Amino acid sequence: MSEVKAGRFWGNFPALLPLLAPFLVFWAFFWLIPLIGGVELAMEESLSLSATEPKASTGYNNFLRVLEDAKFLHSLENTAWFVGCTLLVTLTLGFFLAASIFRMKRRYQSVFLFLLLIPSLAMPGTLASLFYLFFHGKSGALNQFLVIPLGLEPVNWMMNPAWILPCLVAQAVWRWTGLLTLLFYCGMRAIPRWQFEVARIEGASPWAIVRGILYPGVRHLLVFGGVFLLIDGVASFSGAYNLLGGSGGVMDVGLLFVTYVYQVAFPGGGGRFDLPLASAMCILVASGAAICGFFILRLRKGGALRG
Amino acid sequence: MSYLISRIFVGWVALITLYPFLWMVLSSFKTNREIYQPGHLLPQSFDPFAYRLLFSAELIDFYEVLVRSILLAGGQAVFACLVTSATGFALAKGNFRGKSVVFLIALLVILYPRQAMSLSLFEWMAQMGITGSLSGVLFSGVASGLGVVFFAQVFRKVPDELIDLAKVEGQSPFGAYLTLLPLVMPALITYGVLHFLLAWQDHLLPLLVLSSDQLTLPLALAKLADSSHRIPEAVGMAAGVMAMLPLLLLFGYFFRRIRTALSEWVVS
Repeated sequence: MSEVKAGRFWGNFPALLPLLAPFLVFWAFFWLIPLIGGVELAMEESLSLSATEPKASTGYNNFLRVLEDAKFLHSLENTAWFVGCTLLVTLTLGFFLAASIFRMKRRYQSVFLFLLLIPSLAMPGTLASLFYLFFHGKSGALNQFLVIPLGLEPVNWMMNPAWILPCLVAQAVWRWTGLLTLLFYCGMRAIPRWQFEVARIEGASPWAIVRGILYPGVRHLLVFGGVFLLIDGVASFSGAYNLLGGSGGVMDVGLLFVTYVYQVAFPGGGGRFDLPLASAMCILVASGAAICGFFILRLRKGGALRG
Repeated sequence: MSYLISRIFVGWVALITLYPFLWMVLSSFKTNREIYQPGHLLPQSFDPFAYRLLFSAELIDFYEVLVRSILLAGGQAVFACLVTSATGFALAKGNFRGKSVVFLIALLVILYPRQAMSLSLFEWMAQMGITGSLSGVLFSGVASGLGVVFFAQVFRKVPDELIDLAKVEGQSPFGAYLTLLPLVMPALITYGVLHFLLAWQDHLLPLLVLSSDQLTLPLALAKLADSSHRIPEAVGMAAGVMAMLPLLLLFGYFFRRIRTALSEWVVS
């Protein structure tokens, strides 16, 4: 016993290899090798489709082509708006919902947390169909219950360029708010009770409790939730694919990054299967998102994602 | 007063969040004409014609799709739990060179969007000749970075005295991991259910890799949505209900444990 530190296993890699090897093998086979292959693919000539034809390398040419592709930049701008708005609305709504549920009686807390979680359990395709059938159109619920009662003209949501992106954001907010509410609520439950006792004795207002105790108590989870939404938003595909039928909608105002990658790689009709260009897009954007996420996590101190 | 406002706020959000799902369930019994009037909630009759059509294999073999999705998502969740909990255990209780590298790898897997890897994965699987194989899709999601980070934090809470005891008994690290695994059962269930959810909803990789006769639920729903002008809309609604049902049962059954495990995780 004396030769090893208490609580530590044999501090060598080979002893722990049976525990680490499966993860590292799966990671290498389904992450590292495909990523290296993706970089190689991104440097190939776009026209060499035949398996027998030698594939010429174009160096960084495809990356430069990506940056000159106006439609790609447009999809990136749309994705940035989509992610930014989703993040802002979902985190704010999730936090205040969690704070409200936290104040409720115990027996209601579980019920509301579970009910709010239900949209996260639905397929993005189901949410898209529901959005289309239930909310959309002149006779849709949004117009019937919200727009017309306010005396405004009914909106044709998915055909009006101004509303397509907000509809995609609404779908994402609808999907993720419940899950993040649950996470924030769990964070609030973990705050030491004495803090609330002190606030009660000092006669703190509900808003002061939110600002002074609840927000600092879950700040690290807000960052974690933000990174989760950032990565999910950049990779968002299914909801937009189902809602817009694989297109970007009117004037491509709802064209998100992954949808465009899919269009470039597997175009319908007489399009060109430009896998190298699509691969270059993926590597550029995914690397950018990963670096952003990494620095956001590095900026905060302590919390739920510690090494 | 503010207590009342917060209750109204939560109730209102819950209502507008859930009403469409109630509408979806009831719409699976409606005709197209009824569905195109979203203001009407109740169907004229509760004839389950859409469910009969869905499971009749006339449009797609939905029963097979459902079983395939359960096997894919369930298999991936089980393997991911075993693989990532072992790595998490090694990170939490091991003291080896390269520990920070393994953690960095897990973090990279989390931060690099999985959908953006789909194209490279598709190319790699095509080279390996495993496109059209369910096992390719299943194993591609096993190395989960989130799982590793989650279990590393879970195992950090397991008392070090138990590790010392395992060492006294002459157990290897792997033996100790197997012995201690039942202690973290709530965390295993929580992560398993969450991974099942993500695998269940995965759309792009199965779309690229699997053949048209190997539909998973997201692909089947997209196919039904595409052909919604030729088939009753109620069929799509019924498929949506059936796609949600396993997850509702799973989350409903394990909800308390998930909440408890998450509460412990967020403070670790």
